[in-house]
Amino acid sequence: MAILINKETKIAIQGITGREASMVTKHMLDYGTKIIAGITPGKFGENVYGVPVYNTMKEACIKHEINTSIIYVPPAFVMDAVMEAVDNNLKFIVIITENIPIHDTVKCLYYAKKAGAIVVGPNTAGLINPEDRVKIGPLGGDNAERCFVPGSIGVISRSGGMTAETSWMIKRAGKGVTTSIGIGGDPLIGSSPKSLLALFEQDKKTEAVLMFSEPGTRFEEDVADFIKEGGFTKTLIAYVAGRFTEQLPEGTVFGHAGAIIEGGLGKPSIKIKMLREAGVKVAENYDNIIEFLEEL
Amino acid sequence: MSRLLENISKGLISKEEIPIPNFQVVATPEEARKAAQEIGGEIVVKALIPIGKRKKAGLVKFAKDAEDTKIIAAELLGKTVQFYPINKVLIEKKLNIKEELFVSITIDKNKQVPIIIASVVGGIDIEELSRQYPEKISKTMVNPLIGLPKYKSREIWSGLGMTSTKLKQCSTILDRLYQVFLKYDCTILEVNPLVLTKEGIVKVAAVVMGVDDLAIFRQKEIEPYLEVGSERSWKPLTDLEKQVVSVNEADPYRGTARYTEMDNGEIGFMCGGGGASLLLFDALLNLGVKPANYTEFGGNPPEKKVYGLAKAIISKPGIKGLFVCGNITSNTQVDKLARGIVRAVKESNKDPKKFPILVRYAGVNEAIGKQIIEEAGIEYYGDNITMEEAASLMVKRIEVLRK
Repeated sequence: MAILINKETKIAIQGITGREASMVTKHMLDYGTKIIAGITPGKFGENVYGVPVYNTMKEACIKHEINTSIIYVPPAFVMDAVMEAVDNNLKFIVIITENIPIHDTVKCLYYAKKAGAIVVGPNTAGLINPEDRVKIGPLGGDNAERCFVPGSIGVISRSGGMTAETSWMIKRAGKGVTTSIGIGGDPLIGSSPKSLLALFEQDKKTEAVLMFSEPGTRFEEDVADFIKEGGFTKTLIAYVAGRFTEQLPEGTVFGHAGAIIEGGLGKPSIKIKMLREAGVKVAENYDNIIEFLEEL
Repeated sequence: MSRLLENISKGLISKEEIPIPNFQVVATPEEARKAAQEIGGEIVVKALIPIGKRKKAGLVKFAKDAEDTKIIAAELLGKTVQFYPINKVLIEKKLNIKEELFVSITIDKNKQVPIIIASVVGGIDIEELSRQYPEKISKTMVNPLIGLPKYKSREIWSGLGMTSTKLKQCSTILDRLYQVFLKYDCTILEVNPLVLTKEGIVKVAAVVMGVDDLAIFRQKEIEPYLEVGSERSWKPLTDLEKQVVSVNEADPYRGTARYTEMDNGEIGFMCGGGGASLLLFDALLNLGVKPANYTEFGGNPPEKKVYGLAKAIISKPGIKGLFVCGNITSNTQVDKLARGIVRAVKESNKDPKKFPILVRYAGVNEAIGKQIIEEAGIEYYGDNITMEEAASLMVKRIEVLRK
């Protein structure tokens, strides 16, 4: 078991003929992921590593059974692409594209939420379920086994790189992952850590979750409240990076666009305090997560 | 976020028929006097620099006549505040204030929708407003797919106890402000204060407008006026930061290299990945070594970009070593990285025996990368150690130098 993606995940890639999208398509296919169709307006009849390309999602959905979309179109076209996926009844949408204007992101997320579709991203490296050999997005590249082996830990991280590194640390501790998810580096994203923990809570295979956190947002504060309310009862191990940013002037952004401390909100020290109060095992140093994992 | 100077933002809202006081922009005290004379009556003088809370910083002053305006303009012009030199001031008619109100439109990051905050108390900042008059503030979420229907604007002000012509004027202004917020991809549009004059007219006395950097491609009209701060912080770029910006922009679509200079610091910090860089900076500080800069690079940068970044980092005076570290990557070519770093080190005449350099990088082509790095006498690790283990080894190398 895993969350969000499994053997039943049947994917269409919007913007499949782009340089990066086609390379990632190959890596996903090689891993075993079922990519059913690609959408690029005007390119009907072409194929990308054997995946047929359609002009519209509607045409692809008439021909095939599709339940998931990966969005790889340029920033200016993302809003339209999300609406196209939602209107064709897809209930899981992963937005890889970064640098989307914030007004567009607001509309996309609202539109999807209203239709009951789950969005991961924008600005995500994707997610992976190594047991079923499904990976979405560039996460893991052409060598996913290096960092991602099947096991019983869930991984949540804003940073794609740290999704991989953290999964590798889990492997180093002699364990593996159910699903590893890069939630995306933007301040506005479709799936927050809290909403993912709710899914991990339901997943029988997942024993514990490891969360890599950064400054900014209220994600960790929300997680702490969620745990206190009884929404997540499994072990949560967390590491909060970027404590040094608290010493810098407010409004300074390091790393991801979402990693910004504003109006006193988003400070790592407050996140750590609140997580600990909720019973989360917060590692002082990142390497300590290995000890926490060994204690499980 | 990019800010617009107040003369520009006032011009934009005035175009949408939102009432503003008469103003002129001047660059000398004498021009200020003339402008004040033309406008007549009492005058407000405002420093035109893109920073917030100007009133608190003493950059908004009141003059009783033209001569007084000249004196105040002379005080402000030529000063530098938060790195911004005051080259121009705004000379504006002082409104005959009866009441001060507040209205702000922004995006609520938790609710993920636009939010309108309005208050029948204004002229003080929102933090203080929330503390002192929580009952006089209204917060309204807007459906982003529909926008702000006119009746909502009326509901907001009426709900705060407003009526008659004041209600009508304020509702129309809010309605138009929301259009401006959408039209220019604003991240914030704040009017503080919105003024009801003794003559019974509602006008925008001060406005703050921030525009989404990611939407500039469709904001060509205002692009020339956007005051883009350093991407990292609200201050102008240092020479080294500018150097890295040009390195990055020389090849904007392949990989990224970002650099922020820190005060003092012992070692050059060249780390990859947004999350990994945050972690590694903390790790070094915890171990007692302060990095001389912050960096993130990634997305498989070409050799030239790596070289340019490494060269800039190494060139900061006083640094004692270089730490190159990143999370295990699936796309970064370690051989390119190795070539770029080795070239920068050689050209900078740094001897790895006296200037410790440690690389921890695992990714594509790492066997070749390892070879290139080790042949240059530089210490290399792949995924045989963790990132924090690498940081601690780096600190040991620096501690040896301290002895």
